[in-house]
Amino acid sequence: MRNVVVTGGSRGLGLGIVRRLLAAGYRTIAIARKESNPLSLVMEAANRERPGSARFVAFDLAEIGEIARLVKALRHDVGEIYGLVNNAAVGFDGVLALMPTSQIEQLVRVNTLSPIVLTKYVVRTMMADGGGRIVNVASIIGFTGYSGLSVYGATKASMLGFTRSLAREVGRMGVNVNAVAPGFVDTEMTQGLADEQRQQIARRSALRRLPDVEDVANAVEFLLGDNARSITGTVLTVDAGNTA
Amino acid sequence: MSVKVEIVTQFEEVAKQQEKTLAPLSDELVLLDSGLDSLCLAIVVARLEDKLGIDPFTADDAEFPVTLGDFIRVYEDARR
Repeated sequence: MRNVVVTGGSRGLGLGIVRRLLAAGYRTIAIARKESNPLSLVMEAANRERPGSARFVAFDLAEIGEIARLVKALRHDVGEIYGLVNNAAVGFDGVLALMPTSQIEQLVRVNTLSPIVLTKYVVRTMMADGGGRIVNVASIIGFTGYSGLSVYGATKASMLGFTRSLAREVGRMGVNVNAVAPGFVDTEMTQGLADEQRQQIARRSALRRLPDVEDVANAVEFLLGDNARSITGTVLTVDAGNTA
Repeated sequence: MSVKVEIVTQFEEVAKQQEKTLAPLSDELVLLDSGLDSLCLAIVVARLEDKLGIDPFTADDAEFPVTLGDFIRVYEDARR
């Protein structure tokens, strides 16, 4: 069984990704601060069918200084890491002019610094093991504008730049690096959106609806799979045509 | 296996796997002239972490050594 680490795997998109990858036959290691009830249920069902296929590791990804130890422990406990899905993120919104600096710092820390440092430690084990797959969950906000999400947008744009350059850096070592850019998806993170905003986004999308969690999870599964072996350094947009 | 022997073994194995020609290894050898590029050195560091259980370059102020002798010394110091 190939091991795939999914950060922020306890809810929202991350939970959907864990669910999809388990169904596809991977062994998933979900990382989050706390295990959620929905994740527990998903893990129980998966472990009944395939014992040991679903794991949870409690870890606060804002603790950058502990990430090296986390990866060392993962290697020790599960062995080779085939895939890393950098999904964990915070989504504070608010006008920049009024946003507390501590919140700006937290956005950059959790959404940019943490996945980069985690990738640093995981990618070198992938290189040592002969290859692997990294999927960074970005956002359409990384390349299109949305009032109130300037800092979030900056962090997501940073993941796109990171994806492209790292893909060039580690490609010859057999590691593929790609990004998925979801549009607005119905999750806890987007609950702050008023119904009217939601309808407006759907109206402006080519498919006249929002993508759902499964759509994004399917894209992640594709990029991790053998059928995507020649795809690296690219961004797969899953937004129901919102930015088309 | 001593730290030095393990390090030399990993240099040789990574060079072979990555099809690089390794320069004769000596303490004075500058790492960038060893025949291994920086990605190969990253693999050596990852393998040594598996073998020796230490990564001396995790600390914020850790600078990457210049020569093979310095590299070995960093690991020997970290092991003490």
